[in-house]
Amino acid sequence: MTTPAGSADTNLPQTGPSAFDAHHPPSRELLDDCVHCGFCLPTCPTYQLWGEEMDSPRGRIYLMDLAQKGEIGLDGPLHQHIDACLGCMACVTACPSGVQYDKLLESVRPQLERNVKRTPADRMFREAIFALFPYKRRLRLAALPGALYQKLAAVPAVRRLAAKLPGRLAALESLLPPVTVREAFATLPVHTSAVGERRGRVALLSGCVQDVFFHRVNEATVRVLSAEGLDVLVPRDQQCCGALELHAGREDPALARAKRTIERFERLDVDHVVTNVAGCGSSMKDYAHLLADDPEWAVRAKEFSARVRDVHEVLAELGPRAPRSPVPARVAYHDACHLGHAQGVRAQPREVLRSIPELEVLDIPEAALCCGSAGIYNMIMPEAADELGRRKADNVRTVEPTVVVTANPGCLLQIGKHLKDGIGGALPLLHPVQLLDASIRNVPVPRS
Amino acid sequence: MTLDPVARAAIVAALGPDDVVDDPVQTRAYECDGLTGYRVRPEIVLIPRDAEGVARAVKACHRNGVPFVARGAGTGLSGGALPVADGVVISLARLKRVLEVDPVNRRAVVEPGVTNLEITAAVAAHGLYYAPDPSSQQVCTIGGNVAENSGGAHCLKYGFTTNHVYSMEVVLPDGELVTLGGDSAEQQGPDLRGVFLGSEGTLGITTKITVRLLRTPETVRTLLADFPSVAEAGEVVSDIVAAGIVPAAVEMMDTLAIEAAEEAVHAGYTVGVPAALVVELDGPIEQCDTEFAQVKAICDAHGCTRLHIAGSPEERAAIWRGRKAAFAAVGRISPDYFVQDGVVPRTRLAEVLGRIADMGDEAGLRVANVFHAGDGNLHPLVLYSAAAGETERAEELSGAIAELCVELGGSLSGEHGIGTDKACSMPKMYGEEDLAVMKRVRDAFDPEGICNPGKVLPTPRLCGERPGKYRPHPLEESGVIERL
Amino acid sequence: MTLTALKPASLKEAREAVLDTTGRISIAGAGTAADWGGRLGPVDAVLDTTGLSGVITHNPGDMTVSVHAGTPLRALQEQLAEHGQHLSFDAARVAAGATVGGLVATADAGPSALVHGTLRDLVIGTTTLLSDGAVVRSGGHVIKNVAGFDLSKLLHGSYGTLGVLVEVVLRLHPVPKAIGTVVVECGLADAARLAGEVLASQLEPTAVEWLSSGRLLVRLDSTEEALPARLDRLTRLLGDGASVASGSSEASGQSGAGADVWAEHAALTRGDGGAAVVRIGVKPSLLPGVLEALPASTVSAGLGTGVATVSVPGRAVAEAHAAVHAAGGTSVLRCRPADLGAPAWGPPPSALAVLKAVKQRFDPDGRFGPGRFDPWEIS
Repeated sequence: MTTPAGSADTNLPQTGPSAFDAHHPPSRELLDDCVHCGFCLPTCPTYQLWGEEMDSPRGRIYLMDLAQKGEIGLDGPLHQHIDACLGCMACVTACPSGVQYDKLLESVRPQLERNVKRTPADRMFREAIFALFPYKRRLRLAALPGALYQKLAAVPAVRRLAAKLPGRLAALESLLPPVTVREAFATLPVHTSAVGERRGRVALLSGCVQDVFFHRVNEATVRVLSAEGLDVLVPRDQQCCGALELHAGREDPALARAKRTIERFERLDVDHVVTNVAGCGSSMKDYAHLLADDPEWAVRAKEFSARVRDVHEVLAELGPRAPRSPVPARVAYHDACHLGHAQGVRAQPREVLRSIPELEVLDIPEAALCCGSAGIYNMIMPEAADELGRRKADNVRTVEPTVVVTANPGCLLQIGKHLKDGIGGALPLLHPVQLLDASIRNVPVPRS
Repeated sequence: MTLDPVARAAIVAALGPDDVVDDPVQTRAYECDGLTGYRVRPEIVLIPRDAEGVARAVKACHRNGVPFVARGAGTGLSGGALPVADGVVISLARLKRVLEVDPVNRRAVVEPGVTNLEITAAVAAHGLYYAPDPSSQQVCTIGGNVAENSGGAHCLKYGFTTNHVYSMEVVLPDGELVTLGGDSAEQQGPDLRGVFLGSEGTLGITTKITVRLLRTPETVRTLLADFPSVAEAGEVVSDIVAAGIVPAAVEMMDTLAIEAAEEAVHAGYTVGVPAALVVELDGPIEQCDTEFAQVKAICDAHGCTRLHIAGSPEERAAIWRGRKAAFAAVGRISPDYFVQDGVVPRTRLAEVLGRIADMGDEAGLRVANVFHAGDGNLHPLVLYSAAAGETERAEELSGAIAELCVELGGSLSGEHGIGTDKACSMPKMYGEEDLAVMKRVRDAFDPEGICNPGKVLPTPRLCGERPGKYRPHPLEESGVIERL
Repeated sequence: MTLTALKPASLKEAREAVLDTTGRISIAGAGTAADWGGRLGPVDAVLDTTGLSGVITHNPGDMTVSVHAGTPLRALQEQLAEHGQHLSFDAARVAAGATVGGLVATADAGPSALVHGTLRDLVIGTTTLLSDGAVVRSGGHVIKNVAGFDLSKLLHGSYGTLGVLVEVVLRLHPVPKAIGTVVVECGLADAARLAGEVLASQLEPTAVEWLSSGRLLVRLDSTEEALPARLDRLTRLLGDGASVASGSSEASGQSGAGADVWAEHAALTRGDGGAAVVRIGVKPSLLPGVLEALPASTVSAGLGTGVATVSVPGRAVAEAHAAVHAAGGTSVLRCRPADLGAPAWGPPPSALAVLKAVKQRFDPDGRFGPGRFDPWEIS
């Protein structure tokens, strides 16, 4: 066949030095895996919103490829469109060629953080976020009833933001639900024994946002695990796992947190390190990859990651033992992206829910589409996040549930915010283990 | 040659600033579609939100004599949405509303950016579905399906896009909005709708499509059968046809394709068998049952080594997921590959597969085969490694396979289209006069030649002064057709 | 001026005939639709295509056949039947000897268009002769083919104004092993309601037609084994008045049990001798309303396709066009009283300019079929 234009070579030519620095640039093999088929487009939230190639997975990979081939710089469109990515990984699920967009994003975001200067306002806002969220103590302050800035004035990064950009601080505040003083400061028991014959021993990551805003979920998790025959350890001095920073490309602090977390948990004699937060699970399972070329940590990280489980994985694998009482409810299960797409955990939460008598599990239309929470996304890209949140809430309403459940605090906050407006506003929004806990204890389903 | 600044300003002003992309880096994301071998950066990308926006965009291009190319999801495999240098891309990605579902008249009115599968999703509650199902149906748009006259696995029984569209609202290359086709199966006068369908975006841009919906069949029976050879599987297909059965679909995969698909989706295919057939029957229960029993007997008679009958909708979906992901999945077993698309008369399937295998051996390259066996539409996938310098050889082999199809009395393309990729091969299939008359049709719609120029028909600029010396069509040589 | 009669026996002769003749030419087949569409203007010659007859190639395994365009479809069907195959097409005038080319050019169709479409859906390739002698092939001999523009679609419904169809390649289907028809004696309103139920069911009828003699016909194409059960379900769905048709006297192109009712259908579709016959097409749900409003003496109506053929008094033709177009549909005058001056077509389609441009490029001198699209003034 004759070739009318260009060459049929499916790869871009190398025209100059790569725009990426030498520290973990996106690998050539991973970039070449993309055949540009477009199967990722319908599941990409930003492509769904804007319909622009640059804001689709294959478009972003195309731009990464151009940067790697020396055709474009890191500053400008590449930076803009990588920033706009929610990191939901729906494209990873959708890709028939097995493109590891997660790995690509994970290497490109730190490159951009290192090599591209953000505007002062953007920098300030991000710093405020990262000065706040990974710290339980500061979050507790923020969560208490009353004006946020006063409580947080003690944190310098937040004070600077409050002085210059009060509007963005307000956006941040709107996502944080008020909690009671009791809940905010409550702590989990360090050791809880298995009920009945012991089937195993696990350690629980209590999380930051989770433990402050959804302490009741942690309590339910401990109760359920022990009721199902597990000893549960909750190390008191554990800290943030680094998920938020990792997913935002802040590599150095993220790695430091990863190492601290490994250090804290590796010495425990447990079968699994369990988390009930999708984002934390996904990052902890990724430690092995993140630290793979660090001679001191590679093996330890690998062993740690191998032990990490989402709470539903543990429960589904054990199989139900504690007697369940019926919970007659229509339950819409929302797949958190970091659980469904990033960890491939889709069947287990449904299986766990179906172990409850009289409970009907409903799938939500456009289930693969992100709700817009996406780590810090709804704080830094509020408009796009709001649009996705509304769309998710609308989809949730179509299945007419009586309860909505999801396994990530970010999703709970985001969906909660958008379900409030309109019909169905009074729906209880829970973590699946809360339902299981209510069933096992035979108590009414909590409202929140 | 650059875009005249006055023209640029006029085109950019046709739509609001949020609907225009003209950054030299951002526009690069539009420089190719699903066929990445050809890349041309467009000067401007316009992303209108409605039909009027499309018309304004086209009018601005027309007034300024600037060529434009319509783009749907950009999944095409023939470079049909390849931009023109210094030209405009008009993306239909934001025209994605389902405007009307009419269950009584079994039709829906949709905008071009709606995906093929979204149509079925929107009408399923009424017990209806949209029949054409290209493998990329979850992502490809109905506007692109109209442009390419897309088929799919089930077109053996149900036909192609052209058989499922009542009418389209179209922006002609001069920016006028017209309707082609009508409300009933019958139309008045020459079937302009029919010639527009499959014209690969060269006659205008569709902005609204009224599609025909079918009642979902009462039952669907799907089986996956393994065979000791491709030839045996091919004979099964012939026997099914000879028995007077019109299956909803008959798909064949060879050992490499099976391996790739299974690795991608774990659908329960047997890795290592030489050939597998997916046969699907649908219709009223009584009918389906009797015919399904016949099909099973035919499979057994041809040495079927394993016969798996989908026992649930999930199992059926898994079988199809494997089949439909096969192209892209080949990426898992080879660093690079070309997807070919050709058609031979069904009775020559075994012959063409033998010849392809020989050609592959000769070139020292592996060829995976995934195809619609019921209608003779082949999709040989030529596997190669660009890093190992095999690109040119692979491209030659792929091209030779398409031309072999023509030689056997078939076609250069069954569903992927001619686009950029095969425009210069058209003289292998059609004579100069045929192409000249096709050009008359194009001129009637687009006298200025600004609507997706350079696609479908060979041009001297792209293919050299003459599109190659005319060679008599094999059918002509054998006296089946005559030429003067 | 005398009319030159041209009757070529090959593509070569046809081309020479067109090139050697000056002036305007009318293209004719078997003459079964000679007065359909606009009234033919003055011509200098008639090109009779019936000399271009016979099967060119038929490979049963491929289920395709290529024929010379002047081949009567009835004869072709007989030949194909030996292989258990047929063209899934049942226009009423096939029985009268209509040629394949003529049926394509006039976009005719029958009841089974509900499932199989019209000839535009069944033609997979054509060879066409243009008025300047150009011979163009489009499509091919395979069912699935997207290479190049599909010119056969343009010829479909062109009424002999764009070119001479010389060869046609058709996609075939197996002849149904068993056919059954259920009849309900009822008026149009009841028929429309019942048709709605049948079409919403999963019984997959091949044809759903109402006749002005007060009958609803629903046909099933089936395997032998499945037919009784399917007919039974259909009869129950249609209710008390429904019965399986059994009459099968030798009739028009129809065979098997129930052929008589389909012969009646064909007769009503050919129309009422003295009246004007108008073919109309609207959304199926609007068809009963449109039909009720017309002063029709005979009607055959496809309740699933929205296509009907009606006989109306000559004076009512313009009114019929208007009513159909008001409902968003299309209409064309078929047979008519010799002195009828009524327009053959309703208002032109919005793409009239394109139709004119196509005509201009295919037949710049307006040689073929003058007047066929009047009053649209295409040539």
